[in-house]
Amino acid sequence: MLEIKNLVAGYGKVRVLNEISISVPAGQLVTLIGSNGAGKTTTLRAVSGMIKPEGGEILLNGRNIAGLASHDITRLGMAHSPEGRKVFSTLSVTDNLLLGAYPRLTKMRPKGDVDADLERMFDLFPRLRERREQLAGTLSGGEQQMLAMARALMLQPEVLLLDEPSMGLAPRLVEEVFATIKRLKAEKITMLLVEQFAAAALEVADYGYVMENGRLAGQGPADKLKNDPAVRAAYLGTGS
Amino acid sequence: MQNFLQILVSGISVGMIYGVIAFGYQLTFATSKTLNFGQGEALTLGALVGFTTVNFLIGMSLGTFWAYILALPLVFAFGLVQGSIVELLGVRQATKIKSEAGWIMATIALGIIFKNIAENVWGKDPLKFPSPVSEAPLTIGGVNVRPMEIIIVVGALAMMLAVELFNRRSIYGKAVVATSNDRDAAGLMGINTSRVITFSYALSSLSAALAGVLIAPITLTGANMGAALGLKAFAVAIIGGLSSGLGVVVGGLILGITESLTGFYFDTGYKDVPGLILLLLVLSFKPAGLFGKAAIKKV
Repeated sequence: MLEIKNLVAGYGKVRVLNEISISVPAGQLVTLIGSNGAGKTTTLRAVSGMIKPEGGEILLNGRNIAGLASHDITRLGMAHSPEGRKVFSTLSVTDNLLLGAYPRLTKMRPKGDVDADLERMFDLFPRLRERREQLAGTLSGGEQQMLAMARALMLQPEVLLLDEPSMGLAPRLVEEVFATIKRLKAEKITMLLVEQFAAAALEVADYGYVMENGRLAGQGPADKLKNDPAVRAAYLGTGS
Repeated sequence: MQNFLQILVSGISVGMIYGVIAFGYQLTFATSKTLNFGQGEALTLGALVGFTTVNFLIGMSLGTFWAYILALPLVFAFGLVQGSIVELLGVRQATKIKSEAGWIMATIALGIIFKNIAENVWGKDPLKFPSPVSEAPLTIGGVNVRPMEIIIVVGALAMMLAVELFNRRSIYGKAVVATSNDRDAAGLMGINTSRVITFSYALSSLSAALAGVLIAPITLTGANMGAALGLKAFAVAIIGGLSSGLGVVVGGLILGITESLTGFYFDTGYKDVPGLILLLLVLSFKPAGLFGKAAIKKV
C-alpha cells in the first residue's frame, strides 16, 4: 500500500532523515516510535508532500509520489492528521469536516456519500456532534485532536498518517484517542502512526519501527518490539 | 444641521469606495499575507476599460444605463485577469524565493507599468465617464443625494456580501477561508493553495475595478485617478484591520466622513489630515486595527 524506500529529507541544508525505509501493508497499523527530534514528524511531512524529499521513493499503490505537491498527494488518497492538529479555527466543526472531503466534493476523488460519512464521524466522535456548529478554534485540545482525525478520515483515505494524536492531552483523553485508533484498525484502515507514547502505540499496532537521530534503529512485529529489552529500556521507561 | 447631513452623504459614498478597495487588500492579505500596492492602478484600469466599453455600447445606440450594466461583466473579467497577472508575474516569483519584501517592489513596479499603459492608451487628460443614472440630485429629507451615490453604496455592499456568501456557502469559498487559516493544512485537504492565492488576487483587482466604475461617474476618469484612492484605502485597511470585513466598511466610512467634514468646516487643504492622524493613532494603540483580532496561536 505505502512503501517508503531510502527516504532522505530535511529543512534547507539541514538533513534530518537518512535513508528511511518503511512499509505499510494494506489494512495494517504500523507505528513509528522514537524520542523527540528523532525525525518521526519529518518522515510524515515528507510522505504527505509538506516538504520535498531530497532522495528516495515513496510508493502509494505502486506509484511514486515523492516530490508531488501535498494537494496532489491528498487527491491520490493520502490523509494526514498533522502534528499540532492544525484545525481551521475560524470555521465550524462541520465545515472543517467538509474540507476533509474537499477532493470528493470537487470531483477529484469519487464522491460517495459525504453526508453519511459526516454522520459516521459524529457517531465515532459524539463530542463533535454536540459542537458541530461551533468554531473549531473554540474547541478544547482533545476535541481539536478528534476533529483533526475525523477531518482526515473524511477523505476516505487509502492511507492515514497520524502524527502524535495524544500530544498535549490529559491521560483520560489519551485513552480515548487510542480506543478510537483501535476501532479504525478494526475497520481495516491502513495507518501509519507516529507516537511518543511508545507503549500505547505498540499495544495497538501490528508492526513497529524505532527511529533514532534520523535513522531506523530497529523494527519488528509490535508484540516483539514491546518485549525487546533494548526498546523497553530506551522508550518504554521500564528498563533499569 | 442640513449642511452636516449633506457632508455626511458625500462622505459616505467616498467612504464606501475606500471600503471596497480596502476589502480588496484584505482578500489577498488573508490568503497570502501579501497585498497589491498597485491596487490604485487596478482601479484606474477598471474604470478606463469601463469608460471605453460604455462609450462603445452607447455608440451602438444603447442607453447609458444599459451600456453601464452590460459593461460591468467585461470590467469584472478584466479585473480578474489583471489581478491574476499581478499574482503570477509579481507576487509568486517573489514569494517563491522567500523574499520578504520582493512582492512589495514587484507590485509597485507592476502598478507603475499599468499606469504607463493607461497613460499611453487613454491619454493623460481626465475623461468624463457617462453617468448611467440622472446626475440631478434627489432631495431626501432636505438633503441632496445624487442617484450615483446610492448606486455606490448598494454596489459596494453587494460586492462584499457576494464574497461573504461565497466564502460561507460554497466548498470553494471554504477552501479560501481554510487557506487563510492555515496554508499547510489547506494543502493537506487537497486544496491547491497557490491557485487560491491567484484567485484572491483576481478577486482583489475585481473589487478595485468595481470601485473604479462606481466612482468614475461622479469624478473624472484618468490614468491618475487611482493612486490617491489606493493609498487612502490602504490607510482604511490599517484602521479597520486587515482581517475584518466589518472593519473596512467602518474604516472607510470614518475616513470618508472625516475628510468631508474637515473639508467643509475647516479647510479642503487639510482634509486628509484627520484620517491620517487616526491612522497613526491606530498604529500606536491598536496595531491590529479597530476591528482586527490580535493574532492568537494555540500551540
